[in-house]
Amino acid sequence: MDIESDQTATDEERMETIRMLRDSAAGFLGSDLGRVRRLRFQDPGFDRSTWREMCGFGWLSVRIPEAQGGLGFGMQEYVALAAELGAALVPEPLILVGLSARCLPQEYLPAVLSGDRIILPAWQEEAGTLADAPRQTTFDGRKLIGEKRFVMHARGADAFLVTTMSGLALVEAMASGVSLTAEQTQDGGHYGTLRFDGAVANAIPDAPFDAAVADATLASAAYLLGLSERAFRMTIDYLKIRRQFGKPVGAFQALQHRAVDLYLELALTRASVENAATTIDSNVSGSQQRAAVSRAKARASRCASLVCREAIQLHGAIGYTDEADIGLFLRKAMTLINHLGSERAHRARYVALMKVA
Amino acid sequence: MSTGEDLNALDDATFRATVRDWIEKNYPPEIRNPTKRLHFAENKPWYLALSKKGWLAPGWPREHGGMGLSATKQLIMTEEFERHGCARLNDHGMTMLGPLLIRYGTEAQNARFLPKILSGEHIWCQGYSEPGAGSDLAGLSTEAVLDGEHWVVNGQKTWTTMASDANWIFMLVRTDKTVKKQEGISFLLVPMDVPGVTVRPILNLERHDDFCEAFFDNVRVPRENLVGEVNQGWTMAKTLLGFERIFLGSPRQASYALSRLELLAEHMGLADDAVFRDRHAQFELDLADHNTLFASFVARLRRGETLGADVSLLKISQSELFRRITDYMLEIAGENAALIEPIEGNRDLNPAGLFLQARPSTIYGGSSEIQRNIIAKNVLDLPG
Repeated sequence: MDIESDQTATDEERMETIRMLRDSAAGFLGSDLGRVRRLRFQDPGFDRSTWREMCGFGWLSVRIPEAQGGLGFGMQEYVALAAELGAALVPEPLILVGLSARCLPQEYLPAVLSGDRIILPAWQEEAGTLADAPRQTTFDGRKLIGEKRFVMHARGADAFLVTTMSGLALVEAMASGVSLTAEQTQDGGHYGTLRFDGAVANAIPDAPFDAAVADATLASAAYLLGLSERAFRMTIDYLKIRRQFGKPVGAFQALQHRAVDLYLELALTRASVENAATTIDSNVSGSQQRAAVSRAKARASRCASLVCREAIQLHGAIGYTDEADIGLFLRKAMTLINHLGSERAHRARYVALMKVA
Repeated sequence: MSTGEDLNALDDATFRATVRDWIEKNYPPEIRNPTKRLHFAENKPWYLALSKKGWLAPGWPREHGGMGLSATKQLIMTEEFERHGCARLNDHGMTMLGPLLIRYGTEAQNARFLPKILSGEHIWCQGYSEPGAGSDLAGLSTEAVLDGEHWVVNGQKTWTTMASDANWIFMLVRTDKTVKKQEGISFLLVPMDVPGVTVRPILNLERHDDFCEAFFDNVRVPRENLVGEVNQGWTMAKTLLGFERIFLGSPRQASYALSRLELLAEHMGLADDAVFRDRHAQFELDLADHNTLFASFVARLRRGETLGADVSLLKISQSELFRRITDYMLEIAGENAALIEPIEGNRDLNPAGLFLQARPSTIYGGSSEIQRNIIAKNVLDLPG
C-alpha cells in the first residue's frame, strides 16, 4: 500500500537514521485520534506536556546544527518526521517553532529546544501572501508598530519572532503594547491577529529567515503528504468493509478507478516532496532550492485538498459527520493547504523562479 | 383555497420586480444569508410570511393552494430568493410530500395534510435512509406490520434532515419480506410526537445538527396513513426521488455560491485578475447552461409529462457545479479558507462554510455515483 520511497541518498547510515526517526515518531504518536479530537476548540489547541516530550525526542532540533545543541540533520530527515506528524494530525506547533529556532541566536536556543519557551513566527500582514511579501510593520531597534495576521497557535506562544521593515524582532507575548485576538480554525485551533502599539522588542540580526521559511514550507508540504496518505488508507479500508447491493462498495470499478487516481496523486506528491528535500540537502543555487520547495508545496496542497474531498465523497454520508475521523483530515487540510503559501501562490513563485534560473 | 392572484399573467420582468420588491419588504433581515441551515424556530417568521402571501408552494396547482407558476417563473422566484440570501425552509412538505400526495393521495388525505403543510402546522421530514441502506435504499429493513386497524413500526432511519423540528415523517417501510426487495415496500405517514419515536441529532462537519437518527419502537399508526397501495411504496418513492432531483437540480445553491465567489474575489483583490476572470466566466457559463437545462425539465413537468430517469442529470450538474465553485473559493481565499466564522463577520464572505455545505450535496438525495448508475442503466441502456 505505501508508496515506496525512492531515496536518492545512498548512505546506508542515513537511510537507517530516517527509518529510526520515522519508526520512533510513529510509535510515540500511535494511531488513536482521541487526543487530537479532545484538544480541538480548547485553548491553546495543543498540549504543553506532550510538547515537552516531543522536544525531548529532539523533534524541534532536527534542523539545528549540532554545535548549537541541535541534531544537525538534513532536510530528508526532517521531511520523514513531518510526514509522520501529518499522518497523526499532530496539533503541536513543531514546524513553526522550528522556523523560529533556526533564526534565533545561540543564547535563546536552550529554553526553546527544551520546550520551556514557545516562540512563534509572525510574518503575515495580508491573506494569500508569501513570507517575503512587502511588510508595513516598523521597528526602530526598540519599539514595534504594526499588525500581524494569521499567526497559528498564537495563544500558546510565550514570544513572537516578528518580521519588520528593518529585520526581525523578538517580542514577549505579555509585553505591554502587544494585543492579541483570535479566530477559530476548522481544525479546532486558531489564527491570531497581533497588534503592536510601540511594544518593546529585541532585534534579531543576521537570521537565515528565508532558509528557515523554505524548511518550514517544505515540512508543511510533508505534513500534508502524511495526512493525505493516511486519509487515503482509511478510505481504502472503508471501501473494503462498507457493503451495499450485497458486496463491498470497493468492488465497483468506478470507485476502484477513483482510488487509483488518488494513489497516483500521492505518488507524484511524495516524489515532489522528496526531490525538494534532496535539493535543499545539495549544493544547488538558492533559487533552484526555492523553486523545488514551491513545486512541492503547490503539489502537496493540491493533493491534500483532492484526497480529503474524495475521501469524504467515498465515505458517503458517514464522512460528513463530526464523529467520523475522516473529517478531522479534511478540516486539518482546509487549515493547512493555504498556510505558508497556497497552491496558487507557490505555482506563481515557481514560474517566476524558473524564469530567473 | 388559494386567494393569491394568478401571477402567470405578468411578463417575466414585471414578475421578477414584483417578487424582488416583496422579498425586500417582507424578509426578516436578522436571518439574511444564514451561515447554517436554520431550524423551524428560526425560519418560522419567513415560513409564515410566505404562507400568508400564498407563496409557499410555487409549483403546486392553484386548486391545492399553490401558485401554479410556469417553469420560468418558478426559476425566477428561486433566483430572487437566492439573490436576497433567503434561508431555506423546512421544505420537505412543500417540495416532496405535497407533490406526491397531489398525485397519489386520496381526497381525504389531501384534505387532511395539504392545508397543514401550507399553514406550517405540520413540519415534515423524510425517513428513507437507514444505517444499512444508503445507496442501496431498497435494502431497507424498518418494518411495518398490520395489527387490526394499525400499522406497528419498528426500526431505525438515519440522515433524516431536520427531524428534530418535524412533527411528521413520511417513510418507507418494509411490509413484505418474502418478495423481491423493491416489491415489499410501502409509503407511510407517521406522527413524530407519539410514544416509541426517539430522535437523536448527529453533528455534521460544520458541527451543526441538521440531520438526525430516528428510532421507531412499536409505533402504532392508523391504517389510513398508508399512501397508495400496500407494497407500492417503491414506485411512489421513485417518483418522489424524481421530485427531489428536480428540486436538488434547481440552480439555487450554485447560483448563490457564484454570487459569493465574486464578492470573495473582490475581498481578496482578485476581481480583475485575468485567471480569476476566466475561471469565473467558466462557472458563469456552466450555470447559465444548467439553468436552461433545468427550465426545460420543469417545463416538461408543467406540461404534465412524467420525467424519466434523465432527471438525474440535473442533480449531478447542479451539485457538482456547486462543489466546484466552492472548491475554487478555498483556492483563492488564502488563510481565510481555514476560518470557521465568516471573514470579518460578513456573512457574504464564508468560503469554508460554503465549501463544507457543498460536500454532502453530491451524497444526499442519491449520490453522484448512484445518479450516474441510474443514467447508465435506465437511459443509456448499458448492460450489467
